[in-house]
Amino acid sequence: MRVTFFDINGAAQHVEGRAGENAMECAKRNAIDGIIGECGGAMACATCHAYVDPRWIARLDPPEHQERDMIDGCIDVRPESRLTCQVILEDALDGIVFTVPDSQV
Amino acid sequence: MPDADLLMPDVDFAYDDVPDLHERIVQLRQNGPVVPVRYHGDRTWLILDHELVKQAFEDYDHFDPAPGYQQIAAPSMGQTIQTMSGDEHRISRGLVTAPFLPSKIRSLVEDLIEPIANELLDRVAGKEVVDLVSTFTRPYPFMVITRLLGIPVEDEERMLEWAIKMIDFPWDPDGAVRAKEQFQAYMQTIIDDRRANPTGDFMSMLVQAEYEGERLSDERILGFVGLLFPAGSDTTYKNAGSLFACVLADPALRERALRSPRDRELIVTESLRWQPPTAFLPRMASNDVELGNVQIRKGEWTLFGITAANADPKVYPDPHRFDPDRDNRDILTFGRSKHFCLGMHLARRELETALRLVFERFPHMVLEKGEPVEFVGAVLRGPRALHVRPYGQREDQN
Ligand code: HEM
Repeated sequence: MRVTFFDINGAAQHVEGRAGENAMECAKRNAIDGIIGECGGAMACATCHAYVDPRWIARLDPPEHQERDMIDGCIDVRPESRLTCQVILEDALDGIVFTVPDSQV
Repeated sequence: MPDADLLMPDVDFAYDDVPDLHERIVQLRQNGPVVPVRYHGDRTWLILDHELVKQAFEDYDHFDPAPGYQQIAAPSMGQTIQTMSGDEHRISRGLVTAPFLPSKIRSLVEDLIEPIANELLDRVAGKEVVDLVSTFTRPYPFMVITRLLGIPVEDEERMLEWAIKMIDFPWDPDGAVRAKEQFQAYMQTIIDDRRANPTGDFMSMLVQAEYEGERLSDERILGFVGLLFPAGSDTTYKNAGSLFACVLADPALRERALRSPRDRELIVTESLRWQPPTAFLPRMASNDVELGNVQIRKGEWTLFGITAANADPKVYPDPHRFDPDRDNRDILTFGRSKHFCLGMHLARRELETALRLVFERFPHMVLEKGEPVEFVGAVLRGPRALHVRPYGQREDQN
């Protein structure tokens, strides 16, 4: 399945996602700049923040409150902000698009 | 426990300085990914392999940190998020997380971190030779915590005495418990004040925090703020020392340290990979487990070899080269998973700020010749001292 990561200046990288992995793992495996995910996906570090393209937001389950709390403490938060470690890639998300924020910190 | 199979039986990693830790890790690795070494006199399993350390951090069935911290920390520190697991940990951590998240910490740089760094660097100014550890890197993270907690400047000295005594439990249990009581009585007055008149500061955030309908009792707040000193001060100052040792030794790095915030982030991160202050993290196995072809029994102690994992050549090619441009997203310096370091953003902003201010104010600072830097300790590791000339070598000494 295809996953696209835009950087903040609009440059796109299209990568191959694996069903079942989360978008943070997918980004790291493909060396996408700016997604760090240092805690490994436990919602404990707040360094895998990205914006989900608004057209895809409705297809995701809304964030649970622990994720919500972590997002609230991130930098440059927008309504479509998510922690990528909480977005599990599945076939229905083939083509999903993220934009990586300027900085995680 | 039989000692016959111990590797490097001459070294006790709990007590010895082990200045050659990195070389020893290279040797130990030849014996496998998990090796028996001496720690506090006993045989202990040291995990060296990056994948296995990561896996053990994430394995709460066999390496739940809580039972181990119950043994070594709870007697003097009380119950903290380190001694908790499961939902209790999740909720207690949820209650204290907000003040440590990136946006909050970013706002502290100008308001709190920079003024403290500058105040301490004023004591470096004018000196010919000075130990950067005792004048700057050691007091710096400590003062960040006391001022975060709203402790008046004139009480910082007392606070330092209590904080040092509180972690002295293994050597002086009575003194440690007494220090804890004095510390808690003092902090109670601040808690009472913020409960009555919240100001929006860090302590006010704690007394007002609510998570899944729960709030923090005074006892929980006292346990938590007590934990901040050993967790946030001893670690950060050791790394600050290692960072400056490295940058002062390399003119290209020093020049780069002044280039941009992004460059400073990369340099700090590489210093955290190369010389993590929590070099070997003690962890008790909470259940029988096989790891790296070794059978580990419930209740046995292991050492998570963070320094070794961060130098695993499978993940970090040419690991002893200091290279800020390598992919450092999976360094294990701040742990991993649910107990991942709560203060990571604070620690990084402190280190980046220090790096910028030291070289802005003392662009010619050099290490004093004839005073080689010695890195010591296997549990908490950093340079013993850093003798520097803030204004560079005098002409007649070149
Ligand atoms: C370079 C500096 C630092 C390093 C290398 C570091 C390292 C670590 C590590 C490895 C852990 C996980 C321990 C485990 O799994 O048993 C941890 C946890 C923790 N750290 Fe840090 N730390 C640093 C700075 C700080 C600072 C500045 C603070 C706060 C002021 C802090 C507060 C904490 C707390 C509260 C925990 C416990 C988290 C939990 O159990 O959920 N640390 N740290």
